Amino acid sequence: MALSLAIRDLDAGYGAVKALRGVSLHVESGETVALLGTNGNGKSTLMKCVAGLVRPERGSLILTIDGTAHDLAKLSAEAIVDLGVAMVPEGRRLFPKLTVLENLMLGAFRKAARQNIDRNLALAFETFPALKGLQKQLAGTMSGGQQQMLAIARALMSSPRLLLIDEPSVGLSPLLVSQTISKIGELNHNLGLTVLMAEQNFNQTIRIADRGYIIVHGEIVVAADSVDELKGNDIVKRLYLGGIV
Amino acid sequence: MFSFELLLDAVVIGVLLGCFYAAVSLGLSISFGLLDVPHVAHPAFLVLASYAVYFLNEHYGVDPLLAGLLITPLFFLFGLVAYRLYYETFEKRGSDAGVRGIAFFFGIAFIIEVLIILLFGVDQRSVTADYVGKAWRLGDMRIPFRLVVAFVVAAALTILLTLYLSRTFMGRAIRAVAQDQEALRLMGANPIRIKQWAFGIATAVLGIAGALLIIVAPVEPTLDRTYIGRTFCVVVMAGLGSMSGTLVAAIILGVAEAIVLTLFGASWAPAISFAMLLGVLAVRPQGLFGRRS
Ligand SMILES: Nc1ncnc2c1ncn2[C@@H]1O[C@H](COP(=O)(O)OP(=O)(O)O)[C@@H](O)[C@H]1O
Ligand SMILES: [Mg+2]
Repeated sequence: MALSLAIRDLDAGYGAVKALRGVSLHVESGETVALLGTNGNGKSTLMKCVAGLVRPERGSLILTIDGTAHDLAKLSAEAIVDLGVAMVPEGRRLFPKLTVLENLMLGAFRKAARQNIDRNLALAFETFPALKGLQKQLAGTMSGGQQQMLAIARALMSSPRLLLIDEPSVGLSPLLVSQTISKIGELNHNLGLTVLMAEQNFNQTIRIADRGYIIVHGEIVVAADSVDELKGNDIVKRLYLGGIV
Repeated sequence: MFSFELLLDAVVIGVLLGCFYAAVSLGLSISFGLLDVPHVAHPAFLVLASYAVYFLNEHYGVDPLLAGLLITPLFFLFGLVAYRLYYETFEKRGSDAGVRGIAFFFGIAFIIEVLIILLFGVDQRSVTADYVGKAWRLGDMRIPFRLVVAFVVAAALTILLTLYLSRTFMGRAIRAVAQDQEALRLMGANPIRIKQWAFGIATAVLGIAGALLIIVAPVEPTLDRTYIGRTFCVVVMAGLGSMSGTLVAAIILGVAEAIVLTLFGASWAPAISFAMLLGVLAVRPQGLFGRRS
């Protein structure tokens, strides 16, 4: 099952605010690709364009599955979920007054996902055993680490092939950040999930990323084909390793 | 004068009356409680349903409860249309839509009142059925059979809606939609369609509730005004969006009204709901069963 995402010349924004300018980026089957950038540079906007929550003004978003191309810019968020794209949004965005189990069930809202609900529920608990004992707990009453687990588990409920993860490290302690990033690495390894991850935490991200992009003011300023290339890049040194951030 | 028997009577009648209030409030518990729609036309929809039941009963001899069931699909469609209209004209425009939305629903309520007056006149209307006039004798107590019907129907509706909202995919999405619309879109659910569907269900429930309203007492075109206070009091007291909470809150209101009626007379009863509504908002705005978020 081959899958690839090719984004070309993407412009997007919110009225007068131009959040993305001429963004091109690609993700190949089985890869973990990092989208690095500090606050307000357009990472979330890019993720939302792929998920169908924000409509691009220009450019194309082509998802190719087994040789068939789908133009995501023309599809609804619902149809994009059906194609096997799931997103773990920034800030987790759980349903706080619903239980853990109810949050998971909502992850399987689409008709196609409902058929695999038992299998995916088992997979979610296998991936995050801690959630199993918390099924009846209200999501809003859980710790940040537990909430992040639930947010990722919920995304797994729709049997995704491409997982978009927006800043999983936000608000977590260093230990939990490290565990969460490792978990995402495992999902990529064990399930063959293709991952596009937006992050600010450079050192944690390069532990699992195959390659990455740096986005500044809505433009891709670095496209590196390997982690080593990322580490050696001057802009990266200035932004992340020189201590400006 | 005050006596223990009178008080007991009041409590029993109050519980039954409360169940009836629950039946007429459950729809609002969805539309206002879960969807945040300022649906002040809810009681007007209710009275409209009563007149539809009256029409079927008067002209075709249909049993009022059966008539309530028969109009349920129509009211479901009516709810779908009403929400779509509200969404396109108000909700879509953003944050201050709520306040103007109230004006929209007041307008609809007014139109419904006028329509009813044009079609049925201003006189009181009632239905005929075996159980409307009868009563059960329990010792010295006289329990009107029509309140028992209301009790049973309210309990059934509460259970059905609770199951629907907790056990079905659509039900869970309905409870989620007011919490985070964008997250719901990521689950592949369209929030507008979910809300429209939920509003349809909230309105459909009024078919049965309207039957109960006219079974319990005769109706008149402006009866909805009395029920604005009652239904909003119940839904706010319940803690927005809880079905079982709605039942309990409605019973509290029913008992309070029955006791005040016994002690001070009928003229005070309508004020109770407003007093309790203000009290709840002041002391426990999240409702008796709601959690602070
Ligand atoms: N809903 C919105 N309305 C208006 N402007 C927005 C909105 N969301 C983001 N922006 C703006 O778009 C730019 C990019 O934001 P975002 O994509 O959230 O960046 P990042 O995820 O990298 O922090 C910022 O200037 C931000 O202020
Ligand atoms: Mg962001």
